[in-house]
Formats: sequence, structure tokens, C-alpha cells
Amino acid sequence: MNLPDYFFADLPAGASITPSMIGEACQTLKRNREQYLRHRSTDDIIRALSSLAESWMDPEYPFRLKLLADGPEATGFSKEILRIGIDEFFSAINAKNLRHLIVQDLGHAKRLDGFHANDLEQNTDRASTVRGPELLVHIAAGNIPNSTLTSMLLGLLLRSAQFVKCGTGGSFIPRLFAHSLYEVEPKLAACLEIAEWKGGAHSLESVLFSEADCVTANGSNETLEKIRSHLPAKVRFLGYGHRVSFGYVTHEALSGFDARKIVTHAAHDVIAWNQLGCLSPHVFYVENGGKMTPEEFAGLLATELAHHEQHTPRGKLQTEEAAAIHHRRSFYDIRSANSQDVKKWQSEQSTAWTVVYESDPRFQLSCLNRFIYIKAVANPTEALQGADNVFGQVSTVGIAAPLNRAQLLAEQLSRWGVPRICPIGKMQQPPLTWRHDGRPSLADLVTWSDWEM
Amino acid sequence: MRSTDAFSNYTERLRKFIARHSSPTDGASSDSDFNELALELFARQLENVPPFRELCRAKNISQVTHWKQIPAVPTTAFKEYEMTSLASEERSAVFHSSGTTEQRPSRHFHSADSLAIYEASLLPWFQKNFLGDHEDLLENETVNATEKFGFIILTPPPTLAPNSSLVHMFETVRRELGSRDSFFGGQLDNNGAWTLDIEQVLFGIRKSMCANRPIAIVGTAFSFVHLLDHFEAKNMRYRLAEGSRVLETGGYKGRSRVLPKPELHALITKHLGISTSHIFCEYGMSELSSQAYDAPLAHSRSFKFPAWARVQIISPETGLEVGEGETGLIRIYDLANVRSVMAIQTEDLGIRRGDALELIGRSAVVEPRGCSLMST
Repeated sequence: MNLPDYFFADLPAGASITPSMIGEACQTLKRNREQYLRHRSTDDIIRALSSLAESWMDPEYPFRLKLLADGPEATGFSKEILRIGIDEFFSAINAKNLRHLIVQDLGHAKRLDGFHANDLEQNTDRASTVRGPELLVHIAAGNIPNSTLTSMLLGLLLRSAQFVKCGTGGSFIPRLFAHSLYEVEPKLAACLEIAEWKGGAHSLESVLFSEADCVTANGSNETLEKIRSHLPAKVRFLGYGHRVSFGYVTHEALSGFDARKIVTHAAHDVIAWNQLGCLSPHVFYVENGGKMTPEEFAGLLATELAHHEQHTPRGKLQTEEAAAIHHRRSFYDIRSANSQDVKKWQSEQSTAWTVVYESDPRFQLSCLNRFIYIKAVANPTEALQGADNVFGQVSTVGIAAPLNRAQLLAEQLSRWGVPRICPIGKMQQPPLTWRHDGRPSLADLVTWSDWEM
Repeated sequence: MRSTDAFSNYTERLRKFIARHSSPTDGASSDSDFNELALELFARQLENVPPFRELCRAKNISQVTHWKQIPAVPTTAFKEYEMTSLASEERSAVFHSSGTTEQRPSRHFHSADSLAIYEASLLPWFQKNFLGDHEDLLENETVNATEKFGFIILTPPPTLAPNSSLVHMFETVRRELGSRDSFFGGQLDNNGAWTLDIEQVLFGIRKSMCANRPIAIVGTAFSFVHLLDHFEAKNMRYRLAEGSRVLETGGYKGRSRVLPKPELHALITKHLGISTSHIFCEYGMSELSSQAYDAPLAHSRSFKFPAWARVQIISPETGLEVGEGETGLIRIYDLANVRSVMAIQTEDLGIRRGDALELIGRSAVVEPRGCSLMST
């Protein structure tokens, strides 16, 4: 399957994009939006998006086949990891979930189609409607495609023209998705542009930013600060900084009959997108006192990861990434040799997976790509004290707890500022209605018109 | 037996090995000679460096037949463990890894004896590589036979930086090989960061130019950037006496803007009039006792260690040695690392070039693709 040259990202490597090309592209996008997109109904868009997602779930879908065939080379993820990632992502994109999202964030299913009032608004003689930005610009994350694809879907739902700027080497999946849209809905795809350049190209970005109404960006705090400083005042900015996640396993969960299942779920969180997403765990805190000890949990997790390497291999790493794992491992060789409280399991003759058990509860940043820490703790308070060095920078905590403890645990985590709590095994699969970093995804993008009758 | 005694016989043999391989007639080192010393040193260190002993025990290694089987210790382990056979009362110096961002530096402990070996390892290889064309200069009467090189050292002096192995190295070179007017042109600012006394450095440079006497300017890459920024700002272009040379080493560690090597060298040529054939680079670290140099006179930018230190380039993926021309992690077996551990696993990447290495360095390490807040 050959993709037509339709987006900037389709240009051959080495072709350069100029500021005037960006300016013209933005004008075209806005024109196309006015002509093809702005007047489409929510139902209509939802139908188009859910049908597209359904196609992506079809094992014979040519775009999916292309992604699985060329993806390992283009992204570094193995075919199996891409398949799991794509399935988990698109299975959540359906009419029901899209409607839920609109109702949750905007308070009424038809809010985007004109003035409407829900019960509360009717009682107060009000009606409201919302508009999406005319041109929505995304500075996409480079690690995993989920947030970029989600941003593109939200933009379509809001009838915004969109310009997706990917980092070097990061456009492969967004670009395939855009082409799949182009095949069935060329007019919608005409309101979309995908380009790739190394972030910080000021001459290109200043044109892009001056045309935008709203910019979303994923990246380090420095990157976000830099982007923000270059934005005209009229542009709304939504920056998503790097976040880390961890898991928490209660001792009750390790005493029940399905303790082994928790290990399986934990392994799934480690292998999903090879741990590279903000929602992927760096550490699993495991309580002492269960039938299965934290150290046993670590050993079983190692067995699971070894098993995954047979069926859902990680894929090849860049030398620098492998070097990070190699170095970290040799450090833990010394530490485990000199301490009873440290133990390490690892794949032989490869960096495929590593499990480090430590009784020290201090949160450790993993070097990722299936390198996971297991830390023994007495209770959640000890874990949160240990995680003090990443306070305010945590995205998700995956938990395994019986019902009676889950509520208290969730409350404690929420008080500490954790924006998302979910079962272990689902960490890298937030629902569409998820609030990214605790912010409503659709609601942050729109502008309201209120009519007081 | 005191731990020092356990090493004295080895030290004697090492000194002979170094002397043998430093004479102009005998450059090549046979693997068996190296191996013999390596195995002896390994046995001593296994016995006398407790954290290393535990590592070998965990790896089930008590005897080896070839130096490549000796377990390498990562540089990061020097931060957490005392990788030394020296009892606390025997330690007379400690070298720290540099860098402003490191909360816990590496620590390499030394005694008077181990420092003597450090110097015995440093001097002949430094002389051969950096001052190797000195004979030619004598013949051309660019220098006279009794004259030593004048060194302008761009680091602070040992009194201000007692924990820097680099400063100790320069001090040794100054003391043993430098002329009487050699000096340290660096100082510390209020935060303890290294700065330059520009006036003093310029005075030294001008003096050598007046006398038409070749000098050596040595320092870290960032100190050269500081110096060259001054030249640039004042639009100064000097032409140092023929035979003058530069040695730059180390990274930037956030202390100045970062320049790619060719750019830094081009600026040195532009402002000091020293051609690239006389701009030398050193590769060393506080965890080692030997250094590697490139050979610009022979148009090579590959780094070579002396006969008493060997390099392996290790595939980070498999842990095995990479093939010729391939990239991997630099591992060094340094026979002069007597009182710590001889096999050091660095975090630097390099390309295997015969028995030398082409340095890629740590600066090239990509930002991890995943969400990461700090590097360690």
C-alpha cells in the first residue's frame, strides 16, 4: 500500500517546509473547515469517527496492516505491541463513548449543534452552546501515539481545522490515521494537516502560532515554557508536561485466590507501549503482610515478563536506550550483591526486561522499556512518603485492593493529588472520558455562548 | 598483613611494565604480559575491595584466566560504595567526579603510594602523546635543549580544587614537565564554580609570544570556551609561537555553552593561531588512573590508552564486545587502578577502532522517549 502525497509528512525525507508553506496551509485548512466541516452535525461526525475506529479494529483493514508491517521499523515498537496498543485505543472509540464524553464535558449531547438546555439550565431559563477553535494546533508527544490520536479525534468532534506538528520520526501513526480518514471522508481530512520537524524551529512555529486559536502541547516543562513564551496572547494554550505513574498492591489482594492475576495485570501495564507513556508504571509498591510477599511478587512478575518476551516482544532499542538499561543493571548487580534487601531479575543476553526488588520505599524513576521496580511498603502512607520526590507530577496510580480498602485508598491518593486512579492492568488504557492531568479534555478546548432567556 | 603489603609486589611489577612500554624501542605490549598482571591485580582486589568481593561472589567468579572475564564496575557504583582497598587511615586524597548537577559524586580514594602509581602512569603517556614532537622542535631549534615547556593551565590550582583528578594531573605535569613560569589560570567563583583569571592567562600568552617561545595551554573544553569568548568579544587574534599546543578535555557539565569539537577547534585555530594538528584531546575520568589521547599529528581523532590499560567496546544490548566500527559502551581495564578496581564500566558511548576508540560521549545520549523527569 502506497500513501498518496497529501500531507506535509508525506513529503520525502529531506524536503524542507518553509514558513510561507505553513501560512498557506493554515489558510487552506481554515477555508476547508468553513466549507466542509463547520456545518456538520455532531451525530454525523460521531458516525464517521466510530465507523473509522471500527475499520481499524478489522484485522484485514489495509491501514492497520500497513501500520503493523511498517510500524516496527518506523516506531521501534514490535508488531505485537503495536497491535495491542491499536486495539486498546480504537476499541474505546465508539458512538456511545463519544456521546458520553460530550455529555460529561459539555453537559448536553447536542451542545455543539446550537443552543440547548439541560434540566438544570431549563429550570434557570438558560441555554448554551459551544464552539471549538477555528484552528487547533497540536505539538504532539514523541513517545506513544495515543494522546495525538485522541487530540485529533477531539478536534474533529469540535469541528476545528487542525495542524498536527510531530517531532522528528514521530509522524508515522498520526499520518496513517489521517490517511485512513482521507480515504472515507476526504473533506474531513482536508481540514487536517500533519507535519514533522524538530521542535523549536522558530520561523515555522511563529507562523503556525500566529494562525492558531488554540495550541495543545505535550513535552517537558522546558519545552512547554518555550512554546508558551512564543504564543500570541490571544491563543489558548493547553500544556501537558511529563508525568509519571506507579502501582499500589495491597496485602489483601495478595492473599486472595486471584493474587496471580494481579501479577499478570501488572505485567500488562509494563509491556503496554513498552512502558513509555506517562500512564505507565515506574514502580509497583507492594504491601508486606500478604500471603505473597513483595519479593515473591517481583519474582513472579519477572516470569510473566519473560513469558511476554516470547509472545509480545519489546522490539529493538536504540543504542542509547539499551545503554541506559545496561548501566542501571550493572549498578544493581553491585547493590544486590552488597545488600539483602535488593534483588534483580533480568533477561539474559538482551535488555528485554528487568525487575528490581528493593525494600527501600523511595520512588525510583525507571529507565523504561520494561524496566520495573518493586518496592516493599507497610502501608500507602509509606509509599506516598517514598514518592515525595515526584509529588505533583504523578498521572496515574493503578491499584489492586479489596472493595473495603479501595475507597479509602482512592481518597488518600486523591488527597495527595493523584488525578487518576484505576485498576492495575488498565493503567495505559484510560477511557475516552478520562480527564488528562485532571483537566476536562473537551471542555478545555471550547468557548461558550450563554443565552439567558 | 596490611593491605598495602598485598599490593607492593604487584606495584613493583607494574612499574617495570610501564617503564618497558614507555621506552621508545618497545611500544607493543603482548597480551600475555598484560594478562598476567591483570590476573594478579584481580586476585588482590577480589580479596581487598569489599563491595567488589561481594559482586564477584554474587556472580560466582573467584578465578579468571583472561582479563576480559574480570567483572567491570559501573562508575555509578563509586557514588554509593567505597570502591577501595585502602583503610580510612591510609587514604590521603580522594578524587570526585565533576559536574554541577551531581548530588553525590563518585569517590576514588588514593594513598601516597597509589598516587605515585597514578603519576607513573600519567607522565610517560602524556609526554609521548602531547609532547611527542619535542625532539623535532629541538632539531629545528624552535626550543633549546634545556628549556621546558611553559604550561598555562586553565583550571584552578590544587589548593582550590583538591578533589579534582584533572587538576592533580595538570599539577603533576606542571611539576615534572613544565617550566618554572608555568601556572594555573583558573579560580573559583562565589559558588565554587571554575572560572578563569583572564588577565593572568592573557599575560602568560603575551609573554610567550614576545619571547617567541612555544607554550602549552591545557584545560577543560568549557574553560576554552570562556577564554575564546573573551577573544571573540574583543576581536582578538593571536598567533602563538610555532610548536605551541593545546590540550582540551572533558565535557561541559553545564558550565558554558556547548560547542561541537570541530567548532571549538576552529575557534582555537582562529584566535590562538594553533592548527588542528596541535590541538590534542584527552579522555579520562576520576575513576581511572590512566588517560587516553587522540593523535592529531597523525590525523587521528581516535583515543588510545597506554599499553597498561585496555579498552573494550561493549554492546549494551548483549553485554558482549562489539565488532570493529560498531558503537557501544566504553569499558576500560586499567592496571594502574591499583587500590580501587581495575575494570571500569563507563556511561560513555564509543566506536571500536582497532585498539583505540572514537568517542561519542555521553552528550550524545538521547533524551529518553518515555516520560521522564530526571535522568537518575
